[in-house]
Amino acid sequence: MALKKAAKKTEPAGPPQLLWRRDGASCLVTNDFGQYAWLKKKDFDLLLAGRLGGKHPRYAALADKGFIRDRLDFDGLAAKWRSKNAFLNSGPGLHILVLTLRCNHKCLYCQSAAAGPGARDTDMSAATAKKCVDFAFQSPNPGITIEFQGGEPLLNWEALKAAVLHARGKAKKTGKNLSLALVSNFSLMTEEKAQFLMEQEVSICTSLDGPADLHNRNRVFCGGNSHAATVKWLKFFQARHARQVPEYRVFKPSALLTVSRYSLGRHKEIIDEYVKAGLEDVFVRPLAPIGYAKNLWGQIGYEAKDFADFYLKSLDYILKLNRRGVVIREKMAAMMLDKIVNARDPGYLDARCPCGAAIGQIAYNYNGDLYTCDEGRMVGWEGDDAFKIGNVRKDTYRKVLTSGAARACVLSSNLESQPDCARCAYKPYCGVCPVYNYEAQGSLWGDMATNDRCGLFKGIFGALFALLKKPGNETILKNWVGK
Amino acid sequence: MTKKQNKGGLVADAAVYSAEALQLAAFVYSDRAEISIKAGKGVFNVSFCGEAPGFHPGDYMNEVLNQQCRLDLAKQNSKAAGMIATKALLSAAGGTKKKA
Repeated sequence: MALKKAAKKTEPAGPPQLLWRRDGASCLVTNDFGQYAWLKKKDFDLLLAGRLGGKHPRYAALADKGFIRDRLDFDGLAAKWRSKNAFLNSGPGLHILVLTLRCNHKCLYCQSAAAGPGARDTDMSAATAKKCVDFAFQSPNPGITIEFQGGEPLLNWEALKAAVLHARGKAKKTGKNLSLALVSNFSLMTEEKAQFLMEQEVSICTSLDGPADLHNRNRVFCGGNSHAATVKWLKFFQARHARQVPEYRVFKPSALLTVSRYSLGRHKEIIDEYVKAGLEDVFVRPLAPIGYAKNLWGQIGYEAKDFADFYLKSLDYILKLNRRGVVIREKMAAMMLDKIVNARDPGYLDARCPCGAAIGQIAYNYNGDLYTCDEGRMVGWEGDDAFKIGNVRKDTYRKVLTSGAARACVLSSNLESQPDCARCAYKPYCGVCPVYNYEAQGSLWGDMATNDRCGLFKGIFGALFALLKKPGNETILKNWVGK
Repeated sequence: MTKKQNKGGLVADAAVYSAEALQLAAFVYSDRAEISIKAGKGVFNVSFCGEAPGFHPGDYMNEVLNQQCRLDLAKQNSKAAGMIATKALLSAAGGTKKKA
């Protein structure tokens, strides 16, 4: 009997699914489970060729992260994917109630299409506010966050109070975990209002754009000094947070920074202002060419590279302060790091796949109209209801969540269907915004090759991964998200 | 893949670009130019009129390429993309009641 010919030696199989990006002499590799590794060029070539053997010093670590085909822990990796993408199972958790379009500020970059303080026809009635709360509680999400926005929401105090009390009652009945949040410029805050908000455990967020001259230039307030009111009430809530009482929990106040053209070059002063105000987070947010800001882009806008430069300098300065023992972190970086380091979803709806439009958040306009998100509502105010998903009085919850706009946003923000994103090394941590794409590029899908938001996110991820390569920085950054 | 046609039009190779990609891109650019697409033998003839200031046919073709890449990718990734989108939408819409 003839002997069988020896089987030809087969080529080693390549690596399992991975995404990669070159950076000088090294390569960043990531995978859909949210794992990452930096490899030298020759090790990357070995990995791609499936020749990175068991004796290689990086083999065990790469196998643990799901980069070695023969050593995939399917159960463990699937658990990581599920945990990272748990939001796919939960439905909208964030419900933004726009209590009024009226505002007593005239901020240069305002996206929210504010009306003058006298325009009471843009107030949400208490009855509509309660309807909105009822609608929010129909979400299958066990955790409901209701955020009160405007305009300036304190201009419609009665509706705010009614919504807060109604929501607390609903939470008691349904057993859902309720968080309440107020975004205010503080100009109308009083001790009486503050007391009610603290007793009802409403967390407080404001805007702080830096030192007085810069803040007041961006946030024009004819009725007084915007910066002074902001700092005064930040201190008030901080003091109350420091001396808690047993009856209720007082949250530490937080602030948002919007970077206009006037902010560029002043990163140190801005961050120092945050430290001085006792804040532990600074959320360095770029302007978006949406709503009112789109019309003033020539005056206050900038190119993505200008913001990236500002952002990187800010991050660098924050790390310097951290090394000196100052407690402060950049919020966007912290949220991205939570994904990168802990493979956890920090609840940042703008960087999810699919994005949070409708499936993660709903914006409730003063008249009960429902939008995929607050940015979508701003587009609506400009006369284009592409992102309107219904009305709280006319439509059922199910009809709203299966509306054309909701489905279109989910499909167009799915990175698996986005040409550049599907192959991008940052895909496991990133997300696109259909509203931004629509406003800036004329389609929900956008074109990432020329998309400024994409360029910005790539810059931020690039900086974070580069920082994580250096052991000194890595320790500090991991501490930011260590809790 | 594309070449210039007389009178500022373009010819797109039908082996590379689908009519769907050309039409989708034309819709994206509908506020900047009136774009008409006619099928020829192995090609699409694209012509422009009423162009807004700053409109360039090359920008339109970049968008055609973007749409074509997206359509090609959709064929490859449709299973994973469909599962993610379906899961997200169904979960958000709430539980479906099973018929007894």
